[in-house]
Amino acid sequence: MKFTVLTVAGSLLLTGAVAAYAHGGASGIIKERMDAMGVMGDVMKSLSAMMRGEQAYDADAVRKGAAAIRSHSGEALTKLFPEHSIEGPSEAKPEIWTDWQAFSDLSDQLGVFATGLEAAADNGLAHGGGGAGMMGAGSMMSGGGMMGSAPMMGGAGPMADPAQLAQMPADGVFNMVAQTCSACHSRFRVEKK
Amino acid sequence: MRLWLIVAFAAPALAGAAFAVLHVWPIGQPEAIGENAGDPARGAYLARMSGCIACHTNTGGGGQPLAGGVRLPTDFGTFYSPNLTTDPDHGIGGWTIQDFAAALRQGVSPEGTPYYPSFPYPFYNAFSDQDVADLWAAFKTVPPVSVPSKPHEMMPPFNLRAGLKVWRALYHIPETFTSDPEESDLWNRGKFIVEGPAHCGACHTPRNLLGARQAEMALHGAEKLPDGGKSPSITSAALKKEGWTVNALKYALQTGIMPNGDVFGGSMGEVVRDGTAFLSDEDRTAIATYLLERDG
Repeated sequence: MKFTVLTVAGSLLLTGAVAAYAHGGASGIIKERMDAMGVMGDVMKSLSAMMRGEQAYDADAVRKGAAAIRSHSGEALTKLFPEHSIEGPSEAKPEIWTDWQAFSDLSDQLGVFATGLEAAADNGLAHGGGGAGMMGAGSMMSGGGMMGSAPMMGGAGPMADPAQLAQMPADGVFNMVAQTCSACHSRFRVEKK
Repeated sequence: MRLWLIVAFAAPALAGAAFAVLHVWPIGQPEAIGENAGDPARGAYLARMSGCIACHTNTGGGGQPLAGGVRLPTDFGTFYSPNLTTDPDHGIGGWTIQDFAAALRQGVSPEGTPYYPSFPYPFYNAFSDQDVADLWAAFKTVPPVSVPSKPHEMMPPFNLRAGLKVWRALYHIPETFTSDPEESDLWNRGKFIVEGPAHCGACHTPRNLLGARQAEMALHGAEKLPDGGKSPSITSAALKKEGWTVNALKYALQTGIMPNGDVFGGSMGEVVRDGTAFLSDEDRTAIATYLLERDG
């Protein structure tokens, strides 16, 4: 009897381990959030080809992609990061939990920009598309100093106004989405590759 | 006298003598640069390209522009970037342009002491006199911040700065930019940016046990960056294999978005945010062109 219980328990454990291994070693909530990040990465991949001008601009695809990112932002994203969940293939840095406010602010900001992109999808691409998002190359000198004003420098920065975002060219708002991803990854993701 | 006694007395004396010699060993050359009229706008642009602002502004800690204090933990100890504002006591407000040139291109302080190679001065040797004058003009516009530079916290024996003179003798290879007449202006502009100011090799070239870059492995990627991450190989073969094109790379340097839809994180995210996003489209194209079309 005891032997049977042990055997069953053992094979259950094994099954679990095999299942986890089949998903690149990730399981449970870590797998869930890696999948969510993967969904957003796929959206960024297909939309960036349009933003770079390598594929025809498709407002509907931009709207749908933005909605997908929005659905994975804010609390939907942060709830996938319970404290100390950094096992296995996770690329999460422990700073997420020591700096939770900054982490969740960035996740909220992602939602604001994704909503803005959804609304700006019909605006199409800006002509030329040069410069650095909100800050052109010359902005370092504005204000007379070396730095000028640097709204994006602090990571989260001020919340953008959704009504204003809706008026912007889609690639401008798209860049703000990407800058938010990158700001968060710079602070909270280990670069394993 | 017994041999061990001689050794016991002689060893510290010899070490002391060696240290004294190291201490007075002069390094660097005098900078003959004159008081060129610098263009502060061009200098500020070069400062962006060079990472001065990124590394010397403690954005996360709410620090003032270029007032230093950014923490860089390494195997040799923890570095803190110093104050580069015009404050005469805590910054570089009391420096001459010759002091600035020697620090930037040779890694030698106005007192004649060597800087740690955490400061990528070997790359900045690619700067022309005009570049240095422009940078100096830009640095003179930075408001003074009266905050002392935080001392580095180095582990012994790396805390002995005189030891850096030996390191320099072994490993200091200054970049001297030479253009290739066979290649386009765009390619050569990219070469200058990559090998010089943008100091890509500081992170993308592996280092040996003493922190010196392994020249034969230039841009092949490194395993152990100060932030705990890795840097990928950015040789043209590796980039092509990963699906990069000139257009994709140029776009990534502006937005942080990679061809696979992922975005740069780690220090590359910061490089884009605080550096390459500010560059002109032409310069980003130049970087991408050089990296994808160079040999290797």
